[in-house]
Amino acid sequence: MAGKLKGLQTLSLIHYARWVVIRPSQFPRLSKSQPKEKLKYAYTLFFSNFNGSWAQYVDSFHMAIPTGLNLAWYKNLRYPKSIPLQPFHRYILHNQIGTEHYYNPYPMASANDVKAALALKAELIKLAQSSENLSDEEFFRRYKAFLFQNQAHIGKMAPSPVVSLANQATQERRRLIKLYGRLESNQG
Amino acid sequence: MFNKSANPTPLTLLCPIKNGAVGDQSFASLTREYLQTLEIHDRSPMAAVPNTFLCRFFILNDVFFEGSPAEEDHLQSQYLVFCCNFHGDLETYLRGFWQNAESHIRNTWRYCVAFDEVKNAESFVAYIKKCSVKTTFYFNGSSGEPLTEQLKALYLKQELSQFACDTQNHNPQQLRAAFQHFIERTQPTDLGSPTWHPGQNFIA
Repeated sequence: MAGKLKGLQTLSLIHYARWVVIRPSQFPRLSKSQPKEKLKYAYTLFFSNFNGSWAQYVDSFHMAIPTGLNLAWYKNLRYPKSIPLQPFHRYILHNQIGTEHYYNPYPMASANDVKAALALKAELIKLAQSSENLSDEEFFRRYKAFLFQNQAHIGKMAPSPVVSLANQATQERRRLIKLYGRLESNQG
Repeated sequence: MFNKSANPTPLTLLCPIKNGAVGDQSFASLTREYLQTLEIHDRSPMAAVPNTFLCRFFILNDVFFEGSPAEEDHLQSQYLVFCCNFHGDLETYLRGFWQNAESHIRNTWRYCVAFDEVKNAESFVAYIKKCSVKTTFYFNGSSGEPLTEQLKALYLKQELSQFACDTQNHNPQQLRAAFQHFIERTQPTDLGSPTWHPGQNFIA
């Protein structure tokens, strides 16, 4: 399984993803007053945290690991396979759940930024520690070499227009509350 | 029922919500409404919880019907789902969660089955373990370093990128002096300060 999903590594827009397959007997029942679940099927919960838009993400998955996706979902009812794209989109749209609150400790950074920053930090500390006794000219050459070798890790980050769908939904709710007052909830 | 296979560790909770209502609004709807009113980024209550990586809350209203030949299936309860990636061991993380976000915890879980048994950090840990479901497969596309390490690295990347632009035309003497000042200002080996703070979404 892990081998078939190796292409996930090439999808550098993903921070973390997980699959939770839950059988009917595994739904937590914490009290006798809580009715027992009577489900006929086991269910897959798939969670992903990614940079970019929904379409960029789903389409990248479809392009990079179509076989891996099919292997992960092949036991799921009515899974249409990852190719062609439109039925795959429809399947995801039908089964996805909106998040009510989302938190990211570094909303300006992509997964690649995090990995680049850690690599850069280690090299910066090395440069600082190894250059104390160098002449100005020798330090100049060492610094330019450092920049050249780490150029892929250097780059500024900034808030993105839409960091997450939860963020977008929050902004929209605030706008509506400002316009109309408290919103009545019809959900649940 | 949680995994300890990697850092950050995945934690997935399904917390049953009581079947009931306040007036004409169900407990699940009230829980959803509370979650929707939370501030985001560095003002999210989760920003105060140490070693919390990406996390989310949502309500699982029911399971999905896929159409024929599937048979219709329904949940007997709605579930509050909490899903996070944390660094360290579970009990330490949950105690930190309680100590730094108790009022958020009480507001979030107040309508959940058996949450009235939660009185302190230890009973919160016990409650969360009962709600945990096992992660079947986990993928980490980022890093396994502690959050303080990652935030410091991101801070340095941001500062160094600006420094590289600002010093492009410096001669060796100017560059050396500027670099020394940069190191003194940014303190690369000090994880505590200066650094980005959790949830930061602006450039200082």
